[in-house]
Amino acid sequence: MTTTCDVLVIGSGAGGAPTAALLAEAGLDVIVVEEGSHIEQGAIVPFSLEQMNRQYRGGGVTVALGRPSIAYTEGRCAGGGTEVNSGLYRRPPGEVVERWRQGWRIDDLDPDDVERLAGEVETALSVQLLPGPASEPSRALQRGAERLGWKSDESPRWMTYPDGDPRRGQRQSMTRTYLPRAAAAGARLMYDCRVDRLEFTGDRAVAAHVTRADGSRGSIRFRDVFVCAGAIHTPALLQRSGLRRNIGRTLAVHPTVKLAARFADRVNVPDDVPVHQVKEFAPDLSFGGSASHPGLVALALLDNWRDFKGAVVEWPNIAVYYAAITSEGRGRVVSLPGTTDPLVTYRLTSRDRSLLAQGLERLSMLLLEAGATDVFPSYRDAPRVRDRRSLADVSSTFRASKSSVMTVHLCSTVPMGEDRDRCGASSHGLVHDTVNVRVNDASLLPDAPGVNPQGSVMSVALRNVRHFLTEVRRG
Amino acid sequence: MRTPSPTVVTSTCRVVLENDLPDLDPVRRDVVTAFVAERLTVLPGPMRLGVSVVALVVAAIHSVAGDRSLVKLSSISLPIVGEYFRLLRSLSYAYVWETWPDASPSGAVSSIPS
Repeated sequence: MTTTCDVLVIGSGAGGAPTAALLAEAGLDVIVVEEGSHIEQGAIVPFSLEQMNRQYRGGGVTVALGRPSIAYTEGRCAGGGTEVNSGLYRRPPGEVVERWRQGWRIDDLDPDDVERLAGEVETALSVQLLPGPASEPSRALQRGAERLGWKSDESPRWMTYPDGDPRRGQRQSMTRTYLPRAAAAGARLMYDCRVDRLEFTGDRAVAAHVTRADGSRGSIRFRDVFVCAGAIHTPALLQRSGLRRNIGRTLAVHPTVKLAARFADRVNVPDDVPVHQVKEFAPDLSFGGSASHPGLVALALLDNWRDFKGAVVEWPNIAVYYAAITSEGRGRVVSLPGTTDPLVTYRLTSRDRSLLAQGLERLSMLLLEAGATDVFPSYRDAPRVRDRRSLADVSSTFRASKSSVMTVHLCSTVPMGEDRDRCGASSHGLVHDTVNVRVNDASLLPDAPGVNPQGSVMSVALRNVRHFLTEVRRG
Repeated sequence: MRTPSPTVVTSTCRVVLENDLPDLDPVRRDVVTAFVAERLTVLPGPMRLGVSVVALVVAAIHSVAGDRSLVKLSSISLPIVGEYFRLLRSLSYAYVWETWPDASPSGAVSSIPS
């Protein structure tokens, strides 16, 4: 099988989908290749093991090796991570955009422009606050923050609420928004199809070699290619294709640690997450809520199962929360021969470890203030926290190496900018030393933004694809 | 890349669950261990290779030293080997309580096994 197109877009998530839509709407012949399957929203229970099996890479069991290793998840389906994440949205903070512009010497990255692009994303995705009261685990975060005098707010979501019921939101993910736009404009969407490597003639990529889910192989020839396979698989594909300069060397994440909090009354909402976040210590530290179905409650109790297991039967009264940090550490993505899966590593700094400890202690305090009767931090031999006195036990016994650190925000593996000592791509995503290979996903963000990054990823993607179209029109 | 042998994984997982969740019905335990073994086959390549090596080492120790030694090994916080046991337990516990939310801490479930 050999197919041709003007522009090949690899990946259909928050970077690839808007890229494909704008290119197709500009009249270009576009093919979108997605390794995962197309699964209708609502066909699978959110945050369930079945969803992990069908819509996550590696069944949801992916790890950045280190001490401690950091578990991470990646969407692997039509729409990518937007189909499976929490749907929470934050604008890219202006000061972060400015820091990126100066620190990585990014041309034409105007915070006001990015703000306008974020507005465009918000319209396309129907970003809005809940039309009614938040869930009880969410209100607990808000209540605890209020009692401590800490800043908290409700994160908007890219959801619609057709009947006005805040519990029945319909996520406006890529399969509901930009992918249908791309298809309507003529883009061809190829699911269950993995790109193994790019073929080059000199500094120009000319074809992508692909393998379908049934094992058949083929190639797609193109004039330009946008690699939007996410912060792990974009650098892995570039490396397999022979591109290594500043590729995959600076993985940035928001490491998080978790705890389970038990309340006197029923709080558990198995298939949704809290919308409130506590930003008193942002950007260093942020607190929020996680999915809390019974299996995930059991996981949160696992690290000290001997002492905590009795609580598992009370899962209806338990919700799981997280403390996330902005990390100074960095990781690597290294492609290996014989497999399309790269080796991923991450190293926390001593400041990161200290912040994680502070985060868990402060989050425990907040939940006690919110009315939790017991707090169960997720690290080996953790103490059960019942009052403020026992908070000191958390800070004295916590070690990052004993904890279950995880993350869902991965970025910065092909940072954009004109500083060629640090950046893998130009200010608009053109991979250095190539003339037609562009990256347009979370890999480009110079570091982790300290907030949910999807808004940043999509705003930057719109900016870069418009720049590309301007270049195309100029010939 | 090598895939961990289902037999190697299920025999280890079975012993761990017999110890951790002694009241989990044997039929259900088999369902859980089969789930864990299947899930390990879809791990990313490098991780799958690493897990395969550790699983073989643990299985070898198990065959020589027996169930009690395996249980003891699974309770020690060793680097790498400890992470293997944590992986088995994470998948197992998540499956048990997602599938049978009324399971007791020892794995007893009031409803009839399906």
